[in-house]
Amino acid sequence: MKKIQLTLMMMLLIFQGFAQGMQVKGKVSASDGSGIPGVSISEKGTRNGVVTSADGNYTIQVSSGANAVLVFSSVGMTSITESVRSRAILNVTMSDNLQQLSEVVVVGYGSQRKQDITSAISVIGMKDIGEQPATNVNQMLQGRAAGVAVKQKTGAPGGAFEVRVRGIGSLGAGSDPLYVIDGFAVGTSIGQNFNPNDVESISILKDAASTAIYGARGSNGVVLITTKNAKEGKVNINFTLDHGIQNIPDSRRTPVLNGVEFAQFKKEIFEDNFRYFKGREPSIEDVPLGYRYPEQTKFSTDWFGAILNNNAPYTDANLTVSSGKGTIKSMFSVGYFKEAGSIVNTDYERVSIRSNLGGQINKFINVGLNVNGTITKQNIANTDGRSALVGGALLMDPREPIYNADGSMRPYIGGLDGAFGFPNPLFLLKNVTRRRNIADILANAFVEFTLLPSLKFKSSANTKLNYNAFNEYVPSTIGASVASGQAGAPPRIATARDINDRLFNYSFDQLLTYNPKIGEDQKVDAMVGFTSQEENVYGIDAAGNTFPDDLVRYIGAASIRSANSYENGWTLLAYFARANYSYKDKYLLSASFRREGSSRFGQFNKFGDFPAASIGWRISEEPFMKDISFINDMKLRASWGVTGNNNIGNYPSLAFVGLNNYILNNSFAPGKVISSFANSSLKWEKSNQLDLGLDLATLNNKLIFTFEYYRKLTNDMLLPVSIPAVSGFTTSLDNIGQVENKGVELSVDYRANLGPVNFRTNLNVSTNRSTVLAINGANDILWYGSFYGGYNVMKVGRPIGMIYGYKKLGIFNNQAEIDAWARQDGVIPGGMKFADTNGDGVVSYDTQDMVEIGNPNPDFTWGWTSSADYRGFDINVLFTGAQNFDIYRNIEASTMNMDGVFNVLTKAKDRWRSQSNPGSDPNAKNSQGGTNYFKWSRESSERYVYDGSHIWLKSVTLGYTLPKLKSVFSDARIFFTANNLFLFTNYPGNNPDAGVRGGTQLNNDDESYPVPRTLAVGIKINL
Amino acid sequence: MKKITFFIILSVSLTQISCKEDFLTTTDPTRIGRDLFYQNQTQFEQALNGVYGQLQTITNTAYIQQEFMSDNTTLDFNPLDRGGAAGWEAFEFSTVNQGNGEISSLWNNHYATIYNINYALEKLAESKINATAKAVLDGEFRFLRAYHYFNMVRYFGDVILATKTLVNPNEAFALVRSPQADVYKQILADLDVASKSLPARATLRGRATQGAALSLLGKVYLTQKNYAAATSTLKQVTSLGYALNANYKDNFDPAKKNGVESIFEVQYQGGNDLGEQSNFVYVFAPRLSAGAVTGFANTTPSGRNIPTRDMMNAYEAGDLRKAISLQPGYTLAGKFVEIPYVSKYQYPHTITGRSDNNWPILRYSDVLLMLAESINEASGPTSEAYDFLNQVRKRAGLASVEGLTKDSFRTAVLKERRVELAFENHRWFDLQRTNTPASLAAFMNVHGASEKANPTVARGGIAFNVLDYVYTDFEYYLPIPAPQILINKNLTQNPGYN
Repeated sequence: MKKIQLTLMMMLLIFQGFAQGMQVKGKVSASDGSGIPGVSISEKGTRNGVVTSADGNYTIQVSSGANAVLVFSSVGMTSITESVRSRAILNVTMSDNLQQLSEVVVVGYGSQRKQDITSAISVIGMKDIGEQPATNVNQMLQGRAAGVAVKQKTGAPGGAFEVRVRGIGSLGAGSDPLYVIDGFAVGTSIGQNFNPNDVESISILKDAASTAIYGARGSNGVVLITTKNAKEGKVNINFTLDHGIQNIPDSRRTPVLNGVEFAQFKKEIFEDNFRYFKGREPSIEDVPLGYRYPEQTKFSTDWFGAILNNNAPYTDANLTVSSGKGTIKSMFSVGYFKEAGSIVNTDYERVSIRSNLGGQINKFINVGLNVNGTITKQNIANTDGRSALVGGALLMDPREPIYNADGSMRPYIGGLDGAFGFPNPLFLLKNVTRRRNIADILANAFVEFTLLPSLKFKSSANTKLNYNAFNEYVPSTIGASVASGQAGAPPRIATARDINDRLFNYSFDQLLTYNPKIGEDQKVDAMVGFTSQEENVYGIDAAGNTFPDDLVRYIGAASIRSANSYENGWTLLAYFARANYSYKDKYLLSASFRREGSSRFGQFNKFGDFPAASIGWRISEEPFMKDISFINDMKLRASWGVTGNNNIGNYPSLAFVGLNNYILNNSFAPGKVISSFANSSLKWEKSNQLDLGLDLATLNNKLIFTFEYYRKLTNDMLLPVSIPAVSGFTTSLDNIGQVENKGVELSVDYRANLGPVNFRTNLNVSTNRSTVLAINGANDILWYGSFYGGYNVMKVGRPIGMIYGYKKLGIFNNQAEIDAWARQDGVIPGGMKFADTNGDGVVSYDTQDMVEIGNPNPDFTWGWTSSADYRGFDINVLFTGAQNFDIYRNIEASTMNMDGVFNVLTKAKDRWRSQSNPGSDPNAKNSQGGTNYFKWSRESSERYVYDGSHIWLKSVTLGYTLPKLKSVFSDARIFFTANNLFLFTNYPGNNPDAGVRGGTQLNNDDESYPVPRTLAVGIKINL
Repeated sequence: MKKITFFIILSVSLTQISCKEDFLTTTDPTRIGRDLFYQNQTQFEQALNGVYGQLQTITNTAYIQQEFMSDNTTLDFNPLDRGGAAGWEAFEFSTVNQGNGEISSLWNNHYATIYNINYALEKLAESKINATAKAVLDGEFRFLRAYHYFNMVRYFGDVILATKTLVNPNEAFALVRSPQADVYKQILADLDVASKSLPARATLRGRATQGAALSLLGKVYLTQKNYAAATSTLKQVTSLGYALNANYKDNFDPAKKNGVESIFEVQYQGGNDLGEQSNFVYVFAPRLSAGAVTGFANTTPSGRNIPTRDMMNAYEAGDLRKAISLQPGYTLAGKFVEIPYVSKYQYPHTITGRSDNNWPILRYSDVLLMLAESINEASGPTSEAYDFLNQVRKRAGLASVEGLTKDSFRTAVLKERRVELAFENHRWFDLQRTNTPASLAAFMNVHGASEKANPTVARGGIAFNVLDYVYTDFEYYLPIPAPQILINKNLTQNPGYN
């Protein structure tokens, strides 16, 4: 093993000679006296270094003899520097540095000591989650930071998570935070293309004082990701491997009728139809033959079960090699991740390679270069929504078999006795090709000059290169679902599509920092900078159809081909400055300013100004607090700032003419029409945010509270608004409205050492209340959605995105009840009774009587992590939850479509059939009514609104650190981990975080790729 | 060392700052900015072609409101696909409500086209292009604007009259519906200009001519029951060199586009990659006819616009037009399937889904029948009126009619229009023009009852809804699309729709 170590070291060109001089021995112990293993001890100014053994003992040869200075360091502990002073035995005691005040926090364009911070920043260090494997960066944020809501909306392999910092600030311009990787603002999406194993720490900037330095991209919060670098003086080889399986638990499956039950249901539909419309008891001949004898139904197919890939495997392997010795420190990592989806033939694979190099090459110059290359391959299926696989599988006739009698798979299920036809979803999954391959290269380089001891200039260049290739082939054997509106059994015309684009993004930053010493009591640092950034996308979109056969699946083989190329891009530049001042570490002051220009806005509104200021008062430093010993630290903070949002597409302020050709004289005649409404007055969407915070550490830093209150006022929201068609267009982007988001965030950290058990826990709770304060222009109310698919409405005085529809009062039991009610045109007994809210005697078949029926915004969300270790064992548990909010379960308009054209939920068995047989709870909010009617069943109504309150047991990890085998490895841990383990909720859908429409249609669940439960085992070795 | 460093800093910073102005000015490289366009004659001609192109969009679905909604056609009901039930099917079953998506498309597409016309007219007025070309372009844009408003006023009654474009979208909220009379006033004014400035023969076949403007003007007068003006206007058309094709079929043959009988037709072209094809045969062929009608196997036609039994019976014995216009069924795999279909637009073409048929808007036979109608209304069935009617009958291989009363002549003309102009999107407006709301509802209820009792195409065992084929007076006009009223409370709904 030593040999291997040696070889590796040689590979890294860092060969270490054996130290000479005196020997120092000792023990490194914790406050409870137990030895701490794995502490690195290095001799300052040399390359000498050792690591403590399992019992905390060490022996080191020091070369500087009695003058040697030893540095003891370990992740998660406060480093200690001791002079040897001729001592042959040197014992030290180290303590945890949880939430250490001297901890350095990465902030926009710099870093700050935690104790000096006067704005709202959540920090996620890898020591918090290092023991829990994560497959993407956003997963690492889940439940860890107050005010940061992370939703896994889909279980699709490679699917992105949704991140919202302090609510939804914008409906039109997007609400995703800005991601900054090692100082490079890469955009509002990071997806899964970034290997989470490379992350050292994540800072989430939440208030305007911290995000205003990112100006027009700061409104939705900023996620700063810092990648790993070599630790000073250490050589480390780290290998992790975990392997697991994924399954959709039964509790996350939507129960539908089986074959016999469906036949019985259909039979009853016909019988009830006769009773109502013909006024007589049906004879058995009145029921179509296929349903006459349900008990004789031959097949019962669980279509949803058929498309599941049970025990879908995933593997995550990472190797990291780092060396902190010598001038240039280096870190290399290779990651491989492969995940099979829990739906057949969907998967995701990622290979990533990273190299971080850097160091102080002489007294004046410090350089760094980080390069990351990632390749991903993804097999995708069209899964989300009723007309796609997951929704469709619930709707299909269960009396149809998957396979023919000869064992071949049936391509198309044509529909028997009035049931709708669908392509066989399993056949579709196995025969349609839909792939996405991405190659992504991210590089940052910087050089920093120390001009004076207090004055530094840093110049950085950042580039991102992204190649994205999408490729699709739908063979002639795939039929169309009739629910999709284009009925058809195969053979159909085969189609192919190829979209290839490449994205270049460059930015150049110049940063001058000034950090003068002006006395013992005062500290000042200042920074001015300039940045420019440009992005360009160029792509080709080619399509083909009508293939001679399905053997060659490339566009070249198509009889009909077409292609389109496109290009677009944006630019921005900004000047910014920041100054921090502190007096006696007690009174803290910070101010920043950014002036930013963007190509996306109209010619008179290109530039925007983004000022911010914050103050802090460390009360615990005041003399009068010295006697209050149980308070270790106490800081009051206040901040204010202006941020913007420019996430609105590249050319919204310009009007263009587009092609619209014609034929004249039997020849081609080029034509043009105006393709968009120019709104040259478009300007920044700006937010004003006020934040008040209190940091409190008590009980010997064992109990730490952080409390935040914020109020964010978003003005001139950029929204696509419906405009009268007489203008020539039906929508236009406009600066309209004002929205207030205010909330409270509480985070509590507690740690305790109960004998040999170390226990840590963090609970964070966030509330956010949004209110629409104004909508400019002629629209005083904005509706998003559709008559049959649920509405989300913005109305002055109300929270964002309230769910609108008919208020459901119950079920009409008989004609007399209908006659006694307001005119609800076309309703019959068994139909739902809706409120005539405007009192005009008519329940209008439009939105006039629709009112607020649900609130998609939770009262509060929370996350709770706990970890404990005992000797070699450790456990780490994460819960998340959201309380009291509503979801519009849109899919039930299909899965509870009582026409008998689709299969239905098992709860349909307990439906209203007649006044004397009304089911167990006909007037319950979510009951559907009878089978005899169609109108007044699918319209947006309270019937589809469910409470989405839930608790997720998101992850549990159990680990065991093996006793040290010094000759083999310095540290090895095996672990078992489970993700998305349990969901506690009354919500009937598979995932209360789902919502396929996003944007302006909050919490509209049309059935998505379910989130699987993952079980894995893994090993982590440090050599 | 320090000097070098400062130099680097200075040069880097200056390079970045100096390119500032250009750096932030970007435009979409794939499109032309609107403000750079509308400069010369070629660009105005392209803008005009763009508007003609928009006419294709409207024409592609106009059968829904004209043929479907009337007694001419029905649908090849698909019991498995109820997706169109709330959309296009509602026009057949008279269940159109204000939420209907086709209504929104109809409204939005018309106004989108009118916007382009208005914008071009504004730019044209201030441009310095050749005066002759300018007058012709002006006339064509006005003809097209009149055509669109004439559709709108007949579909919706009072509509928003916009003849200028807006700078700010918010101005659109101030615009409300204008009385029909004002809309007609604008239509007449536009057509008056157009009929004077347009040439008798277009430089490029397919562009609007004086004949097109006069024929449309005559139709407007006829709709307004201004029979004297209608007669005198339409008579001008008869001296412009138009004539009936000897063979009725030639009007629809892609090989004989824009013939002697054609006054104005929407141009399409198939057989290539230009994207200007029509696909009516695919929309109108029975659902399960596969390649039997379209000529290409593996196609899944839509089965819309199926001739009703009533329509098929409307042809007199010996009418040469019947076999050209429709077929009683198709033969697939040696088996005859008795589902009728519109065959007017059924012609061989070379590429799947890309047929070559133009769509007639104004034909000379339409003008002759309008003349017969307006003369009869003004002065009874004069010999001149008989002559116009019988010209059309003669070409169809039918005997001349004679000895009719004014009322029976009116009925004869309407019947003649129905078969002569079948499946060319005239029927609904003809019924509307010749009926009151009450009589139209009564007429359609008779047709609906017969379709309901004995559907032209079997419905696969699916019963009719109670409200299917129930017509009411207010359905004389379509509802104003709900989304338009939703965002603009100043817009009123047509009575009856709520």
